Amino acid sequence: MRDIETKSRKSELLIILTIVIASVPMILAFSLLVLSSFSEEMVTNLKSFRPTLENWINLFQGKMAITGSIRVNIFEITLNTLIVALGVAGLVTIVSTLAGYALSRMDFRGRKHVMIALLVLHAFPGVALIVGVYLLYKLTLPQDPDLMRFYSFFYVILARGALEIPMSVWLMKGFFDAIPWEFEWSGIIDGASRITVWRKIMLPLVKPGILAVALFAFIAGWQDIIYVRTFLIDQTLATFIESNIESEFSHMPLIAAAGTLYLLPTIVFFLIAQRILLQGYSGGLKG
Amino acid sequence: MLVMVLIFYLIPLVMTVYLSFTSMKNWNVKYLFDLVGFYNYHRLFYMFQHDPSFKAIVLTTIVFILITLVVNVFGGLGLALGTFFLSDIVGSKFRLLWLLPRIAPIAVYSLVWYYFFHETSIGTLNSILMELGIIHQPIPWGQIIPWGAWSVIIFVNGLVGVSFGMIVFTSALNQIPKELVIAARVDGASAWTISKRILIPLLKWHLLYVLTWQFLSLLTTYCHLFLLVEWNLVNRDYGTTLALYVYNTAFLGGELDQGLAAAVILSVIGVSGGFLTLKLLGFEKMMKRPRGDV
Repeated sequence: MRDIETKSRKSELLIILTIVIASVPMILAFSLLVLSSFSEEMVTNLKSFRPTLENWINLFQGKMAITGSIRVNIFEITLNTLIVALGVAGLVTIVSTLAGYALSRMDFRGRKHVMIALLVLHAFPGVALIVGVYLLYKLTLPQDPDLMRFYSFFYVILARGALEIPMSVWLMKGFFDAIPWEFEWSGIIDGASRITVWRKIMLPLVKPGILAVALFAFIAGWQDIIYVRTFLIDQTLATFIESNIESEFSHMPLIAAAGTLYLLPTIVFFLIAQRILLQGYSGGLKG
Repeated sequence: MLVMVLIFYLIPLVMTVYLSFTSMKNWNVKYLFDLVGFYNYHRLFYMFQHDPSFKAIVLTTIVFILITLVVNVFGGLGLALGTFFLSDIVGSKFRLLWLLPRIAPIAVYSLVWYYFFHETSIGTLNSILMELGIIHQPIPWGQIIPWGAWSVIIFVNGLVGVSFGMIVFTSALNQIPKELVIAARVDGASAWTISKRILIPLLKWHLLYVLTWQFLSLLTTYCHLFLLVEWNLVNRDYGTTLALYVYNTAFLGGELDQGLAAAVILSVIGVSGGFLTLKLLGFEKMMKRPRGDV
């Protein structure tokens, strides 16, 4: 807040100091992770920092251990993560743009009930659902191995996307609500159909909303571990880190490098989409 | 959308409730029609009375939710008020920083704390304390029961939840007319007095909103805990909440039928909590809630 005449510098410094102290463990922990990925062993204090690029080279070559021949393809793993994240983002964006428009503009029967139901669904324990979702998955899984892999991608995207949809629909409805009716009427009076109005007039106007919903869905798909490890047959970065942390041969700084790689897109989004992030989360998320 | 809600919410829901009345084990379809009535619920209750590790889980759930809730709500309030009194640029930088736990990939976030609380001298916390000469042996923080394990899980989840309260409160604070604050400033009130006498009373409704919403979230969250327990950073019994218990019984082998009974109990608490929230806050206000503008 700005009110320059009455602001006292001393109290501002005090507040900054308090918040900085509260943030120290978090900043420290995250920066040590990044630092460790460039070091020969885990960095706990600056004395143990011996710079090297070896971890990153090994990671990209897929060499998991210093000795031995355990190999993984980190590019494929990253690609898997990306497929899931993009799939979730695409699905959630399309569904919530359509449903948000309908809930905002059309007065159909049961509209209010649908909206209450969406809110209650959001408060519903995901863990109670995942069991039923898994049984459904088991019952519908195809036998053919290739088809199975494809199906597991398809399924994990649908299941994870479904989790995001209630809140995204609410968010989209809010964006549609903010647009005056007159825009739509003038389109309809000029002889355009409802679909044309939606596509030509409404969509360009809610672009910021679509961007926000897509971004949140992408982050959700990217960060997910539970759904990925439960349904997906292939590995993603999340399950890669999960499974390598306790194994005997794993080299801790190398896992730190994988973690940093995994964190990278998040940081990029963080920097380019600050406003959207700070605004959109007021819609509320689980966590 | 309706089809997806049907497939991924309603059908699984019915299945979960139904399965909790069967003797389902290890996802074996042959148990699908083996109805056992309320046997699973009875056994869960019996376990609560006689099985120390299940008792620990229930106790952990209660302690975890209560303390983390307090940390989240007051941490969020503190951050929102603190950044409110700073200039916009500095304030939003801090708010952004505190979003990091929420948007960082779950595996990376847990990994970061895994290194931080690690039980050997590699762990950052142990290393710092040893350097300062406060301790001489590395301490396995998460294995000290109950409070060591509880502290770790509360700390890790507390940081994630703070950002939710922070954002709701910040958006609410920005809607308060600036004149109120400036008038108080002119009269010589400090930031602390302004917060206590003017801002917090105006935030009552939002406090309630964050409190109930965060309660429901904590009741059902388990992904961070799952990794911390799996990586052996925290004690198995005192690091597991009911939601995680359900997941572990379902997917890491074990008494699936029993986990399902626990899942149904959780759901009943969750859904009634959800309806209570709606009643408490008034649906009309909720209609305006997720507008996406701060």
